[in-house]
Amino acid sequence: MTIQTASSSRDRIGITAMTGVSAVGRGRADHVEAMRDGRSGLTPCDFPNVDVECFIGRVAGIEDEAFPQGLAHYDNRANRLSLAALGADGFDETVREANSRWGASRIGTVIGTSTSGVERLETTYRAINGEGVLAPDYSIQHNNDHHAAAAFLVDHLGLRGPAYTISTACSSSAKAFIDAEQMIRAGLADAVLVGGVDSLCMTSIYGFEALELVSRAPCRPFDATRDGLSIGEAAGFALLERGADGPVLSGYGESSDATSMSTPPPDGAGAAAAMRRALARAGLEVNEVDFLKLHGTATPINDSAETAAVASVFGPGRPAASLKGMIGHTLGAAGAIEAVLSLYAMEEGLRPGSVGLCDKADDVGCDIQREAASTKLTHVLNNAFGFGGSNCSLILSAG
Amino acid sequence: MNVDIYVNALGFCGPGVGSVDALSRAFAGENIDVPADWRPEPETLPRRQARRLSAATLTAMAAAEQVAGVLTSEAPWVFASSCGEGDTLNTILAALCQPEIMLQPVRFQNAVHNAAQGQFSIVAGSTGPATSIAAFDDSVAAGLLKCLMQMQIEQTVCGLVAFDEPLPPPLHERRPYDLTLAGALALSPQREEGSIARLSVSSGGDRPVTDPAALRGPSHILTSNNPVRFLLPVLAAVRGIWTEPVVLALPGGGTLAFRAEVL
Repeated sequence: MTIQTASSSRDRIGITAMTGVSAVGRGRADHVEAMRDGRSGLTPCDFPNVDVECFIGRVAGIEDEAFPQGLAHYDNRANRLSLAALGADGFDETVREANSRWGASRIGTVIGTSTSGVERLETTYRAINGEGVLAPDYSIQHNNDHHAAAAFLVDHLGLRGPAYTISTACSSSAKAFIDAEQMIRAGLADAVLVGGVDSLCMTSIYGFEALELVSRAPCRPFDATRDGLSIGEAAGFALLERGADGPVLSGYGESSDATSMSTPPPDGAGAAAAMRRALARAGLEVNEVDFLKLHGTATPINDSAETAAVASVFGPGRPAASLKGMIGHTLGAAGAIEAVLSLYAMEEGLRPGSVGLCDKADDVGCDIQREAASTKLTHVLNNAFGFGGSNCSLILSAG
Repeated sequence: MNVDIYVNALGFCGPGVGSVDALSRAFAGENIDVPADWRPEPETLPRRQARRLSAATLTAMAAAEQVAGVLTSEAPWVFASSCGEGDTLNTILAALCQPEIMLQPVRFQNAVHNAAQGQFSIVAGSTGPATSIAAFDDSVAAGLLKCLMQMQIEQTVCGLVAFDEPLPPPLHERRPYDLTLAGALALSPQREEGSIARLSVSSGGDRPVTDPAALRGPSHILTSNNPVRFLLPVLAAVRGIWTEPVVLALPGGGTLAFRAEVL
């Protein structure tokens, strides 16, 4: 495969705004404070109709907030998360200004999600005990349909450029950044609203419980006692604009494991290939990357495979951490919200640590940081991997 | 976007129509015999393994394997589907209504939208980038758009699979379409020895969109309302059966127009 490096790019594409909502808060200040203090938002599971002993990363209060009246058909938990993220730090106004500046048809939308609004469909099914006719006000198109997550944003913000959804499980919204970059470079848009959203739902919690991948305690990425993940929910968005200042997506790499639907190979070969391709596209040497924001789900196999891959690509000494001990595994939103947190960290001169890590496991072969540190970050690697053997690595670079 | 791309192979799988050759014969008026027990059977998948997979995944794999031979193992793939694994999701949702909830782990891992893509990558040993895209009725156009972006920027060949399986009750009445269908193309930014057609592609504003029902031929497919139907005029154009430009609505706004020249 030919990889075009950043030096061959014909136009700078800057990330001009970003926002996020997760279990630790809304927008920049909450997330920077949580990263600096190593604060976890994981709490004992109190999600309705779930009887699983676990911890979750739940966004407080979104059930009770106003939802746009004209878009009531879109009212579900995932879209409420999106709405909360749009409202933080004036991000929605920034997008509307860009809409005026570029013209609606020149702003694309690429959103990653795994479950979209399926949480509302779960409630709808339970109301009829899984049989009979769905409630008359339930619309597939505007709720559990995968594209509903993107369509809501398009309709709410009045965007009219190309818009679609990427759904590759837990790599979905990292991959969305690649499509956003490609959409602008291909001349199809001048700006792209990019990001991801996934809400807590019964399907995800009971599904991962069935796979015996849910920890009974708050997840502990890379720890000797790690025994599974904690599921969270989040929305994270960024605005990419042609010719703009700001941080950039300097490199990206993708691969498929082609070995298993849900388990990576022990050496993380596919993950390593994605990281190498990202480095090649960015034109960076391994020692130029200041921080590795790992996928770090805290399942024994995933963390072992990812750190083996990191060691094979970067060798020792590159500071690395997982953000999932702080916000949980936000599944299809993970790539986007963790990219947003990486951007916050870069702009604040903050290198986050791995919340929940006490004793690094012997099988973790890279330099996992427990505590946050104040330091300049110029290039940050972001990993996101998903079911189907889907691997995605992004490199974000300071403007 | 104004770009010429090349088609190196076509694939199709649907009830009674297991290839693009069969589809072309159906377009030419040949009657289609649909066996009552029709079920997609990818040639490269062990039968035992196939029992665990949905009709959506099997149909997508059956179409994909028809074009995989002209692509390298590192080639990128795009799988486009509106509803993905809707039947599997329905089974999970029903289980979540039970007093004691027990999900089957394999069912859960195969419920993701990219299940077909993941299963295909395993069987085919395909290790390149793979993207799974959804855009409701415009999923075919979104998948083609992603292929075009990749080809233009990465200068790489690309595989596309568009597939959809009807939703079961009670979902079906809210998103009604029929038949399990999949189509596939192997695309290249440059003409290659085996290229069978050149597609001149242009993106643009709103234009009249090609109605697949305007094609002559397999009425059960053309009137199925399945989102994959929007790929049929493209397949027909590559075969020289449809000679007008094909215009697809892009999700979000605008259109993609394709003019085919058979090589």
